[in-house]
Amino acid sequence: MLKTLALFAAFAAFAFVPGCEKGSDRGSAASTTAPPSARHVTLNAAGSTFQTQFQQAAIVGFEKDHPNITVNYGEGGSGRGRQQLADMVIDFAGTDAPFHAEDLSKAKGGAILYFPLLLGPITVSYNLPGVPDLRLSPVTIAKIFQREITTWNSPEIVADNPRATLPTTGIVLVRRSDGSGTTENFTKYLEVAAPGAWKLKSGASIEWPADTVAGPGNGGVAQIIKSTTGAIGYVDLSDAKAAGLRFAAVKNSAGKYIQPTTGSASTAGEGIDVRDDLVFSALDAKGDTSYPITYQTWLIVYAKQGDEAKASAVKEYIKYLLTSGQAMLGGLDYAPLPKTLQERALAQLAKIQG
Amino acid sequence: MATAFAGRPAPADHAFRWIAIGSAAIVLVVLGLIAAVMTARSIPALRAMGFEFFVSRRWSPANNVYGALPFMWGTLYTSLIAIAIAGPVSVGVALFITEVAPRWMTRPLVHVIDLLAVVPSVVFGLWGILVLAPTLGRCVLTAGLILGMMVTPIITSLAREVIETTPAAEKEAAFALGATRWEMIWGAVWPHSKSGLVGAVMLGLGRAMGETIAVALTIGSAIGQISINPLKSGNSMPAAIANQWGEAFDLQKSALIALAVLLFAITIAVNLAATAIVLRSRKRSSR
Amino acid sequence: MMRVAHGHPEIACATERTDLRARAGLREAKDAMATVMFGAAVVVVAVPLALVVWALIERGAHVAFESFPAFFTQEIPVVSRRPGPGMGPAILGTLLVTGGGTLIAVPLGILGAVYLNEYGGVSRFARAVRFTAMVMTGVPSIVMGLFVYIGWTVHFGFSAFGGALALACLMVPVVIGSTEQMLRLVPEALREAAYALGATKSRVIVTVVLPAALPGIVSGSLLAVARAAGETAPLLFAVGAATSFNIDFLGGANTALPVQIFDNATSVFVGAQDRAWGAAFTLVLVTFLVTLGARFFALRSALQR
Repeated sequence: MLKTLALFAAFAAFAFVPGCEKGSDRGSAASTTAPPSARHVTLNAAGSTFQTQFQQAAIVGFEKDHPNITVNYGEGGSGRGRQQLADMVIDFAGTDAPFHAEDLSKAKGGAILYFPLLLGPITVSYNLPGVPDLRLSPVTIAKIFQREITTWNSPEIVADNPRATLPTTGIVLVRRSDGSGTTENFTKYLEVAAPGAWKLKSGASIEWPADTVAGPGNGGVAQIIKSTTGAIGYVDLSDAKAAGLRFAAVKNSAGKYIQPTTGSASTAGEGIDVRDDLVFSALDAKGDTSYPITYQTWLIVYAKQGDEAKASAVKEYIKYLLTSGQAMLGGLDYAPLPKTLQERALAQLAKIQG
Repeated sequence: MATAFAGRPAPADHAFRWIAIGSAAIVLVVLGLIAAVMTARSIPALRAMGFEFFVSRRWSPANNVYGALPFMWGTLYTSLIAIAIAGPVSVGVALFITEVAPRWMTRPLVHVIDLLAVVPSVVFGLWGILVLAPTLGRCVLTAGLILGMMVTPIITSLAREVIETTPAAEKEAAFALGATRWEMIWGAVWPHSKSGLVGAVMLGLGRAMGETIAVALTIGSAIGQISINPLKSGNSMPAAIANQWGEAFDLQKSALIALAVLLFAITIAVNLAATAIVLRSRKRSSR
Repeated sequence: MMRVAHGHPEIACATERTDLRARAGLREAKDAMATVMFGAAVVVVAVPLALVVWALIERGAHVAFESFPAFFTQEIPVVSRRPGPGMGPAILGTLLVTGGGTLIAVPLGILGAVYLNEYGGVSRFARAVRFTAMVMTGVPSIVMGLFVYIGWTVHFGFSAFGGALALACLMVPVVIGSTEQMLRLVPEALREAAYALGATKSRVIVTVVLPAALPGIVSGSLLAVARAAGETAPLLFAVGAATSFNIDFLGGANTALPVQIFDNATSVFVGAQDRAWGAAFTLVLVTFLVTLGARFFALRSALQR
């Protein structure tokens, strides 16, 4: 046993002492903006996988400018983010949907602030070789995701796609296994856009039909769709494009079939009705060129931080997301916030106390 | 037992004895704690659901309804597929190693099998999800096949040990009568090893039922699906716990712990039965 | 022949079933077919396992050794979409967690086995401990993971120590079992000689019995270490998912190779999948090396045939 320990120690010494190289992301570049003798602060976060790519890119840029602050974003889904923030296990969370009234009482740290970060489309992605331009109407989508339609050449899908030849392949329905804000927004959309047809209600986790395949996170769903012929599922645009998935054009409330793009998402974002606490919904927006399944995501955090250094670090990070961060969004296939909303969010920063 | 010269046990000797007793007792304490703590935490869910917990198909955290049946079904189905394949194949390999293989092949084969038994289950899961599942889909069959691959080395090693206890006299007697090798195996080895092999396969079953990661990655994580069709997605007790724990609130946590207690009880029962069978066959063979 | 058959009625029955007067050709054919089937069984086992090993080497080796030692020393990329190394924190985490678990489990297991074989004998307490250890070797690792979460993580948060505790719980029964086997093989004569020289019981154990059994004990412990290094489920609940190096054993989330493999296995991005293969390759390499070490010590053990 001693010999084993010696081997372990030797390996550790050889591999790590000479210098743990920081990964190519986290550099140790000298900062030009951080105060000279700031204490090192670590911010832990988790939640929405919709905003994961944005968080990860922003963290890299932010830490270069603020070497005394480390941010860890742990994904896990909006449900987990809200729960962990309620338990005060993390410093802030990402969520695509606000707290439900009954869960708000579980939040141990008092009042919660919502900071909107971006908008983006939920794509209906699919894997069907030979069908490049699928079009789907809300009622058809509702029936597919309820397993009332189980083959690709069913009459409803054919009706939406008169010019395509659809095979007899069975539909493999893919959904989220974790409590997801994407699920919540997708199902809310179906409630609004296909009220008679959609029977499964909405929520971070709903009672899906039994014959489905589930994956963790937007990336997990994308992985299943990509590797399974005949699969269909809902994935945010950023992850769908990065995974190389094909997605359907969805019929909006004006009757037009619209492709999910950052442009059609931005159009959907114009004229949204934003509450005082910056909670809103971009689903089923009006307008000829709006993508109907556009949704939003927030960074949620307690107003009272209980720690000066943490409060200032949190404020710095949120400010970064709302300013320099917004410039990153286009390259990541997200849509930036409308100007007025961005200004209101920045103004809300003042409510964070140490 | 004899101790020191003067008849007075030295205090260090006493102390050592108590340290040894304490170390042994820790095993009892830990198992006792596991049983007590987990059972206690599972009670809220069991009380809320009552007997329905074991027969309901519905699992809905949003409505606080928890039925374990689909997970029990998935655990059972995948494990049965695993040993339906691994059982005969492992016994075949064990027979090959002990009776058919030439001398120079035996040791290397045994070494390879032992090495394969150490491959972590997450590696099998990775292979399953990235290589096998794209072809077969994420379903009970894929999970069952992966499980079968994982338990084969275990069953093979045990089967080999059981078969090797066949008395040489019986084997030689069969050859003396002019039996072919197959007839010797069928007539001398098989009757002697039958029950021990059953025990070995059952230990493989116990192992397959408790496997979490490889199944979680390949079975498809369906909720509420109970189907005879192995190409449909499913779920299993340990996979459900691993997938859902991260965001479960109170009652759901309790329900997941209840699943864990149920799994614990079932695997203990299978393992105990299997061990009893293997031990009994060993006793009989040394007559 | 009759004497053999007398005590073993089943062989008399068996040879009655086998009709040795049957046509020689048919019997030879059956024998040949049986041999083929056994060989086929080996092939059925060998092919998928070879495929797995092949996939590990083909997909994992080049990831692990590309621009060596980048994969082992660089942090896990924050941007999961990005391809490239490394898995350094996971390797460190596996070392910490497995090493810590070993440090806890091996002494406890050896001492427990010492009690069972040298003091306990067949007393009720000893039998209870043996039975419990045997039961615990069959505990599904996820049950252990939940237990560690409820008992430790909830109170103390994620840490490498929590992971070490979880692995120790899994290792102790295995170490007790294999160590007791080794101790049993130590000839009684060795002990009696030591007692005859006036040694106390504890001295006999520490200076005579344990050294005699040591290679076998090391072999058994190394096998337990190899198995523990590959455990995933308990670590998911105890260790967390950090991406940067964390040498702090007691504080803060850490990560480990099996956890990273599990997380990256469900990613759609090739870069993350590649890192999973590289981590899997590394993990299998390490467990193979430890197992070979166990075999080395087993051979050196004079107690085994």
